Amino acid sequence: MKILVIEDERVLAESITSHLSKEGFVVETAFSYDTAVEKVNLYAYDCVVVDINLPDGTGFDIVEMLKRVKSTSGIIIISARDALEDRIRSLEIGSDDYLTKPFHLSELNARVKAILRRRNFGGSNEISYHELRVNYNSRRVFVGENEVVLSKKEYDLLLYFMSNVDIALTRASIAEHLWGDNIDSADSFDILYSQIKNLRKKLTDAGCTEYIQSIYGIGYKFGVN
Amino acid sequence: MKLLGRTSLFYAAFSLVTYVVIAGSFYFLVERMIYQEVEERLRVERRDFEHYVRTHGMWEESCYFVEDKISLAAVTDTLTALQPFKDTLMDNRYNMQLIPFREHTFYSSVGDGLYKVVIRKSLIESRSLLKSITVTLLITLSIGLVLLYLFQRRLSKVLWRPFYHTLAKAKAFDVSDGSALNLDTESIHEFNELNSELSKMTEKISKDYSSLKEFTENASHEIQTPLALINSRVEELIQERSVAPKQMSWIQDIHESTLRLSRLNHALLLLSKIENGQFYEREPVDVNSLIKSKLLAMEEIFNLKGIATSLTQDGTLILQMNAILADIIFTNLLNNAVKHNVKGGRIDIRIYATQFVIENTGEPLKENPEVLFERFRKHNQSSNSLGLGLAIVKKISDSHKLKISYTYRALLHTFTLTA
Repeated sequence: MKILVIEDERVLAESITSHLSKEGFVVETAFSYDTAVEKVNLYAYDCVVVDINLPDGTGFDIVEMLKRVKSTSGIIIISARDALEDRIRSLEIGSDDYLTKPFHLSELNARVKAILRRRNFGGSNEISYHELRVNYNSRRVFVGENEVVLSKKEYDLLLYFMSNVDIALTRASIAEHLWGDNIDSADSFDILYSQIKNLRKKLTDAGCTEYIQSIYGIGYKFGVN
Repeated sequence: MKLLGRTSLFYAAFSLVTYVVIAGSFYFLVERMIYQEVEERLRVERRDFEHYVRTHGMWEESCYFVEDKISLAAVTDTLTALQPFKDTLMDNRYNMQLIPFREHTFYSSVGDGLYKVVIRKSLIESRSLLKSITVTLLITLSIGLVLLYLFQRRLSKVLWRPFYHTLAKAKAFDVSDGSALNLDTESIHEFNELNSELSKMTEKISKDYSSLKEFTENASHEIQTPLALINSRVEELIQERSVAPKQMSWIQDIHESTLRLSRLNHALLLLSKIENGQFYEREPVDVNSLIKSKLLAMEEIFNLKGIATSLTQDGTLILQMNAILADIIFTNLLNNAVKHNVKGGRIDIRIYATQFVIENTGEPLKENPEVLFERFRKHNQSSNSLGLGLAIVKKISDSHKLKISYTYRALLHTFTLTA
């Protein structure tokens, strides 16, 4: 899977690149509008992550250009501006998602994967990890052949974990992913703790290996140790 | 007291004093003049009397026909000092009325004897003259003063009109409008100066205000990018397996502080955006259904904290609001009710046709309720809370002309939002 990151802040672009590369994506970067236009016209990408504010142009133009050439790339806009107009405009011109800076790299990762899943690039509507299988069209979860019934939040939580395998996820990033701004951060950690406890119990009861590991003081990690 | 009232009062007081002084002095002046005249005539008569006595060597009552004009009394004992002129009252010859007289007394020898002579002159006509002169004067003076009073009132009104005009505009001045006072050029120099100074001042104020607002917003924007950089680097560090646990906990501290900083920045940015009127789009917001969905979304936290909630709907509250801000204000009110609640407490929400009431159990307020809606007024300074939630609530309700109020009674904190 090829991803293009268009971001003029080199450090941020580098972080995004290295994080997504670890997930097995082939990541290219463009630090300016001109190089971005060049790359978009030359190569096909599965997903394009584009910053709105570029020194020599705007990310909106790149999105519009992609849509003109009927590109099938998924598009995620990232912006320092948390303005509703920008959000609406980016969705109107056909981008798939909108992230406000600062964001968690794991969140970006999950969103990229969600877009790729929605576009069904893999040809299947399932993601799996060892004996764990998630059908994201029917939102059903299986351990081997046993179905596990999860609440909506538990399902979202599991999917977030499975999108970020072997990545240390901070409590803040998980809480933000699940509840956004709806819940105060101090409280969200407590709720998160009980949600994770429930999820773990449901999975292990169905015979699943314990993949959710706690990292002291940081958060959680999904994977085999 | 109004300027016009004050000048009128001064004027009336001054007029009254002038009136009394003028009337009094005029009366005495005229009286004096009349006395002088009467005394002069009495002297003339004395001369006539002495002349008569000298030529005829005697005095006859019948020589004069004027009433009680001259009376003589023989002096028998020693002479006493006489008061040459004095007022006296005498009976009228016909109707026994007392009439004022001026009398002139002197000694004179008539023939061989020495007599005390008294010449009297009636003052009745002079008195009535004095009276009518005084009354006429007083009436004229009163009319003059009243006219002058009305004139100065009118004049003040006309003269001060530009001032009141300016005052009304200054009262209506709103710094968040972004425009300076627009004042007309006046023909009176002082008012003109006042207006131009005010215009200059308000222009400076609104310019400073808008540049300050701009600065806040720009600064917040500029802060976002470096924060994003720090965050992403910290997250990468967290992924490192080689970091020792102690260092990892430092990294975690950095991570959480950066997140907090970024939330703070977002909240401040939101406040300045509301102030700048950037959320101008309004639409009808159904508070009942909004609250129902919020309660559902927050169910987990209510369960976790053992908070019982109740929703009483006595009406449907539809507010003309910006949808985003409506979401924020009710989220903040609910979060506030959760945050300051006690374990096993309660949140009661009542919705009326024009009012939203949220009531929660909680510890008594340590702060002054007046500063509750101010920025960074935290119940507990070390808490994780930003201290901006209620400031944002206040700002949103102000910008939508809604009224938010807080009351505390018997461990119940109540916030009321009135349309």
